[in-house]
Amino acid sequence: MALREPVLRASIACVSILAAVVLAGSCRGGSGAPVLTISGSAVGREADLLQRQIARFEAAHPPLRIEIQPTPDASDDRHQLYVQWLNAHADDPDVLQLDVVWTAEFAAAGWILDLERFAPALSDFFPAAAESVRWNSRPYALPWFVDVGMLYWRTDLMAEPPRTFTELAGIAARSIASGRVPYGLVWQGARYEGLVTVFLEYLSGFGGRILDERGAVAVDSDAAVGALTMMRDQIVAQKIVPSAVLTWQEEQVRFAFQNAQAAFMRNWPYAYPLLEDAARSRVAGRFAVAAMPAGEGGASGAALGGSQLAVNAYSDRPDAAYALVAYLTEPAQMLERAEAVGQFPARESLYGKGPLAAALAIDPAAAREIISRAVVRPVTPVYAELSEILQIHLHRVLTRQEEPRPGLREAADAMRRLFNRTRLAAS
Amino acid sequence: MFLSRPRSTADTRLAWLFAAPALGVITTIAAFPVVWTFWESLHLHDLRMPWLARPFVGAANYREAISDPRAWSALAHTIAFTGGTVTLELGVGLVLALALSRTRPGIGVLRTAALLPWAIPTVVAALVWRFIFESPGGFANALLSKAGLMEAAPAWFSDPYAAWVPIVLADVWRTTPFMALLLLAGLQSIDPSLYEAAALDGAGQLRQTIDITLPLLRPAMLAAVVFRSLDAFRVFDVVYVMTGGGPGTATEPLSLFAFRVLFRDLRFGYGAALSVLVFVVSFSLALLWLRLTRLNEEE
Repeated sequence: MALREPVLRASIACVSILAAVVLAGSCRGGSGAPVLTISGSAVGREADLLQRQIARFEAAHPPLRIEIQPTPDASDDRHQLYVQWLNAHADDPDVLQLDVVWTAEFAAAGWILDLERFAPALSDFFPAAAESVRWNSRPYALPWFVDVGMLYWRTDLMAEPPRTFTELAGIAARSIASGRVPYGLVWQGARYEGLVTVFLEYLSGFGGRILDERGAVAVDSDAAVGALTMMRDQIVAQKIVPSAVLTWQEEQVRFAFQNAQAAFMRNWPYAYPLLEDAARSRVAGRFAVAAMPAGEGGASGAALGGSQLAVNAYSDRPDAAYALVAYLTEPAQMLERAEAVGQFPARESLYGKGPLAAALAIDPAAAREIISRAVVRPVTPVYAELSEILQIHLHRVLTRQEEPRPGLREAADAMRRLFNRTRLAAS
Repeated sequence: MFLSRPRSTADTRLAWLFAAPALGVITTIAAFPVVWTFWESLHLHDLRMPWLARPFVGAANYREAISDPRAWSALAHTIAFTGGTVTLELGVGLVLALALSRTRPGIGVLRTAALLPWAIPTVVAALVWRFIFESPGGFANALLSKAGLMEAAPAWFSDPYAAWVPIVLADVWRTTPFMALLLLAGLQSIDPSLYEAAALDGAGQLRQTIDITLPLLRPAMLAAVVFRSLDAFRVFDVVYVMTGGGPGTATEPLSLFAFRVLFRDLRFGYGAALSVLVFVVSFSLALLWLRLTRLNEEE
């Protein structure tokens, strides 16, 4: 007994400490100051920036306190985590950073708040950005920053950027023939989301769409076959795109262009400041950006990416959460974001004024010109699966396992089956 | 020693009592998940579509799997991968084991060195092999063109057949040491007097290997093949890192397909059905091997 007593006492102590910890955890925010949580990218300079902006918001809204709930930076991982939380009706985090392609999914599932009652003014945002936050014509999020696909071109190899794919092929072929670059054009050709955004830009250049205005599948149209045939022919017939791109994502593509191996590159704005860094880049001062070229019967397009802020439908404090969303998407915070981390503001009006020119590496007028051509990826709750179907068939066609027309027809059939299965078929 | 009947019952009861915690643990960590996965596979359960609820759909998920060409080609890829890698590993592993079984100075160091690939995490090994084969200027292509074997080196990962070469090589490189280790253990359990007798009878090195080593090594070989086949059938990481299942879905094995359905599409019902199918196939494989081993022992 003499030996067991201290053991017993130690166990009791342990259990009480544990209980205290658990209680403290569950009481968080219950008795003290009200706490809001926001989750999203919270690494490096982005985290510092968000901390600064949140501190200002807290100062203006006492006694509210804001906590950042870190989530994985990889898009798929964050998506999976959000879905699990919201499925369990978790009331944390109150504010969610969403990728542009998730909004419809979360809205249809009833996981994020319909913002109609706050009457957000969406007219100030780029039309494509405003379109991407709507589901069933109601707003479910506010655009935070935008990302667009664009054509990087070498100013030492040509006087001005090509406007059509034919012009591009000519310049690329000449640049290769002259021995100044081994590759003409490089883009993201691995089987992942990036390939879909590249295809979307070609598709737009040929006047096609993935889903038509009514939401019906249109990816087996002649325009789509033309666009995909162009992508394949650039690799196998014109040989201006190296077949190595079929395993490349953003970074491999950037390295090729940065090492002066290509006349053109399709990439996102993030590459611009990196390419300008003369210490690492061999093309510093020798490149510029333009909109992607157009094909026959279409207009140049830029795939829209970026992030939005939405309010958790199960949040305890929806009004405070919306106030935070509204604050973070105000012009001043967007400008600060552009300056600190180089992300493009989602508000079109900011591009006319002076401060943005000092904040961005790219000339705001050129950026605005490209963003005004932004094309939204299909706004549907099943986007992830729709995209995967497309990725598989695009990649099969580009690796010559399928021909463009039958490949796209199979993709379209699989998409129609998907819509039927999930009862989302276009009426 | 005989025990009286009442005591035997008491002992039995006690035995059950003692075994209960272990049985409980087994039920919770082995049986329960399997049963739950099966139950889940009979439902339509899509995490992203709460409006579909979670209705009981019977065998609908299994019907979808059977009519899904992607599932069939994933099964074919898995079988081809298992057959290919295990055969190669057995061959190379056998040679390696025979070489390592000789006693000579420094053999300990050699044995350790041969095991090194097995000690490297699969993801790291797969990444290294991907770098070797990736890009036109990669090591593999440089080697091939230097040897004058290939004018235009293939883009390995964008060809549906060539993409298998790096995958199989990486897996064989990494797991052959394990195979060799199992075979080496088998080799060392063979009675050396058999070789002495054979040598006295004038049998040469080759004759000894064919008539003594190989037959006596059969149980060890069978066990090694069973282990590796079951392992290879669940292949995931090598492919995930090297090709992600591409180009298209040309190198996608079953487990990667099931993973995609479960964790990317979050279709728990269909994903559960696929997992049950993987389980059933590998379980029957295990049973088949067990039966073969027993036949082998009866001989």
